[in-house]
Amino acid sequence: MIKTTRRGFMVGCSAAIAGMAGARMNFAAFGSAEAEPNQEILVVVFLRGGWDVLNVVTPRVGHPDRIHYEEKRPDLRLPDNSLLPLGSHAFGLHPSATGLHELYNAGKLSIVQATGMHSNTRSHFDAMAYMELGTPDSRSSSTGWITRHMQTATSLPEEMLFPAMSAGNLQSQSLLGYHEAVAMSSVSRFNLRTGPWGWHDEHDLSLQNIYGAGTPGTSPITDAGMAAVDAMKYVDDATGGSSSYNPSGGAEYPSGSFGNNLKLIAQMIKLQLGLRVATIDLGGWDTHDNQAYSNGTQGHFPNLLRTLSDGMRAFYTDLSGCNSNYDRRTTLVVMSEFGRRLRENDQRGTDHGHGGMMLAMGGTINGGLYGQWPGLHTDQLYDQADLAVTTDYRTVLSELLVNRLENNNLSQVFPSYTGHTPMGIFNPVNPAVDYAIACNNRTYLPSVLK
Amino acid sequence: MQHTLSKDQTQSENGSSRRDFLKQLGVAGTLMAFGGETTLLSSTAQLSAEMSAVSASPPSVALIALNRMGFGPRLGDIAAFEALGGNDVDRMNAYVDQQINPDTIDDSAFDALYAQFNPQTLSKSRTQLWQDHIVADPQWNIRMLPFYEVERMTFLRAMFSKKQLVEVLADFWHNHFNVYAYEYYIGPTWPYFDREVIRNNIFGNFRDMLGLVAKSSAMLYYLDNAGNRVAGPNENYARELFELHTLGAENYLGVMPQGDVPLEDGVPVGYVDGDIYEATRCFTGWTVNDRNDYTPVGNTGEVYYRGDWHDRFQKYVLGQWVPADQTVQQDGEAVLDRVAYHKGTSRYIARKLCRRLISDNPPEPLIQSAADIFYNQRFASDQLKQVVEHILKSTEFRTTWGEKVKRPFEYVVSACRALDSNLVIKTYDSPSDSFMWNYGRTSQKLFQWQAPDGYPDDKNAWLSTMSLVMNWRMVKWFVGANHNDIFHADIVGQTPTNLQTATELADFWINRLIHRTLDANIRQEIIDFMAQDEGADTPLPVFQESWPGPQYRNRLRVMVALILQIPAFHEK
Repeated sequence: MIKTTRRGFMVGCSAAIAGMAGARMNFAAFGSAEAEPNQEILVVVFLRGGWDVLNVVTPRVGHPDRIHYEEKRPDLRLPDNSLLPLGSHAFGLHPSATGLHELYNAGKLSIVQATGMHSNTRSHFDAMAYMELGTPDSRSSSTGWITRHMQTATSLPEEMLFPAMSAGNLQSQSLLGYHEAVAMSSVSRFNLRTGPWGWHDEHDLSLQNIYGAGTPGTSPITDAGMAAVDAMKYVDDATGGSSSYNPSGGAEYPSGSFGNNLKLIAQMIKLQLGLRVATIDLGGWDTHDNQAYSNGTQGHFPNLLRTLSDGMRAFYTDLSGCNSNYDRRTTLVVMSEFGRRLRENDQRGTDHGHGGMMLAMGGTINGGLYGQWPGLHTDQLYDQADLAVTTDYRTVLSELLVNRLENNNLSQVFPSYTGHTPMGIFNPVNPAVDYAIACNNRTYLPSVLK
Repeated sequence: MQHTLSKDQTQSENGSSRRDFLKQLGVAGTLMAFGGETTLLSSTAQLSAEMSAVSASPPSVALIALNRMGFGPRLGDIAAFEALGGNDVDRMNAYVDQQINPDTIDDSAFDALYAQFNPQTLSKSRTQLWQDHIVADPQWNIRMLPFYEVERMTFLRAMFSKKQLVEVLADFWHNHFNVYAYEYYIGPTWPYFDREVIRNNIFGNFRDMLGLVAKSSAMLYYLDNAGNRVAGPNENYARELFELHTLGAENYLGVMPQGDVPLEDGVPVGYVDGDIYEATRCFTGWTVNDRNDYTPVGNTGEVYYRGDWHDRFQKYVLGQWVPADQTVQQDGEAVLDRVAYHKGTSRYIARKLCRRLISDNPPEPLIQSAADIFYNQRFASDQLKQVVEHILKSTEFRTTWGEKVKRPFEYVVSACRALDSNLVIKTYDSPSDSFMWNYGRTSQKLFQWQAPDGYPDDKNAWLSTMSLVMNWRMVKWFVGANHNDIFHADIVGQTPTNLQTATELADFWINRLIHRTLDANIRQEIIDFMAQDEGADTPLPVFQESWPGPQYRNRLRVMVALILQIPAFHEK
């Protein structure tokens, strides 16, 4: 099923827009754009570099694999008494992941162990492409898995203004080929108000006319330019040109680009531009050396994990504050191209591994520890070296697609994936829920909500 | 070191079909010759498809050459190109001959600007850089001055040097052997890497460049080989040596026993993880003489072979044994030989060069013929010159357009060149600082891509919204940027004063910046912008000293920015 594009929608509304010539486009003109405030939102966090999951969720003393973990990790092994308990499980969380621990205890976090792909690759670039294109063992797809979801989901509205964003400078491969997607790392610079004084609005209008007059699909530059001029306009109109944003519930995002980008996603969700999918990256996980010191508890990796963990806590707090229901219709998943080798190297680092781990966070999730643990005995390891994969990453995403995003077209989103068996992580959407909107940061309310 | 792996935007490697094919071969264990597999359109079909997508009349061969062998034309460049011969082929061949022999080019105008730049660190030797900027432990600004000088010199050369192909290829090889250089131990020696490792070998021999990369402190630190020792091997460098520097992922067969890899002419057709581990052993003991944890004596910043860290036993790499108890460096050199001289490497490098110079999906026959030269000339001292010459003199190079888009560095520099800007980028200079600060908002800060694969070369990566918006902001800032009222680009001064109307002003600047006939609607929008509500043929007081002259001059500057933002100026 082909969705009406933003551009198609604009053309369809041309009479309404023409009627407002000279004025800033008011969102009343797009009343239907956010006429579906109960829609589900997906946020995908990709940890670039392959994260060392064995030091995120670690076997505790008493677990039969603790001995293998301690033997292979003389410097990096986390002391048992430093681990944050995960209920009665024989695994514990890294001490710097206090945000994840709170979310887990509140039942808002699911951890799926030993996830990944069965592809025989330890290449970052192959593995990332396979995962984000949704086509393990092939990099030839011209669309990403999220692109295909957006193209096939029947639950999405006919018209979407701002359906997808990559929070950052570049667009994710999972959104490859989706021309409606917007990459964005800042509201204050997401406009052309710079340079010579005067003529800003006239310049914007001319650029909109130039790109708007193009025929979609004839040139990649024209398509991209169209998306850019439209997105600048919507964001500008919705924010009134102000980049100020106050998170709800006292949420404190970590400093740095990850925290800023996560905050930007929350801001865009609350602007009610119709955001349905957002992607965000956190890099720095390729820890071949000096991963940590003080028995794995201090240094680069612990700091990076704290950034992730604090960011997720802040995002959840922000969305669940102010009596809104954003937390109940937003699901955040965390993935990485692979895990790292069980045996540490001689530089307090770890080399590329195989099995990884996924996280899912949301207000309606069945929190807990999921996935079949494959064991750390040498015979149980992949290639006798790495954590094995027992859960295809597409299993987790497919359940999310079906239960939350109401898209059953798995064969199109993940073409070679078969035999889907859900794990019971995501509760089905309950259409009876009344998602009253209590907090709204938008300048213009859609007419339907006025 | 933990480089931040950022998102890999490159879409798909077209080599994957070959790689899948290799894997199937591996399973079947069959011996077979290659050559026929291709998933690409024929070049003719591809060209016509590309031509139909452009937003202006087809460009001249001059424009193709100046945009893809360089950073776009400066004033006079097109005329100079046209004077090189009687027809397109002659002109192109003559221009290529000039550009691949840069010593024959009179670059005295650039040399004068370089003298103004007056760099303090760019001619220092490796040991001098190490001594002055690391051992002496100066404050941060001095420690990193070598990095800043390379960064700004690179802008200055791209903007003003007539040896444009050198700059395109320096950028190519820097990204091929990517190092995140804004780093405590790497920034101080960056002029050495740029000058001796990359630039000195652009038209030289690949194996020579590869060897210098392997022995540079920059790469030894960046990919952790400085700490690779028998007691604790670190495979980071060895893995990227195969995957990114030589054979490429298209020749990676994954996790498979070495003995199962099929042979072609007695050589394994690709590599597996076992080759990476064995190569890692070969490079144990290659570290930096930095008097750090790693070396007991000396402090020179040069490569240091530490025997007691070396794995002395025999190894097996790409189908051949490396004997036990060789001297330390011999094992690593043997690995470098095998990967540099592998046929898979010739295809991978040829494909990357064609992708950079021609299109994201270059025609397979050209890749193969370039690869053949790369392979047959693998011992020649001008191997890379021959390969580049072959690609640039091909019909495909001369007849393609619009399959690439300018990346931020190319886009911004080409705008400066098109505007005939005289801003001389220097260190310790406030207009330059301001330019670099604004440029830094784009997505392509030089030498600062974190992951080892280098900035993406695929157009999709650079057509993200934020990337476009930042490019557009940069040129809009630039058309108004001035220092003490001297504009970086003297747009008003370059506009003939006899041009009065919006139509005349728009047509002059369209021709000046785009050099082609535009789509009529786009041209009309530009005229309408300049006219606003005054009529396209009404004389405008652009050159009037008093008010409202200044207001019209700003309108003219913004119109110029608008022209630089249309699709035609992004194509190459």
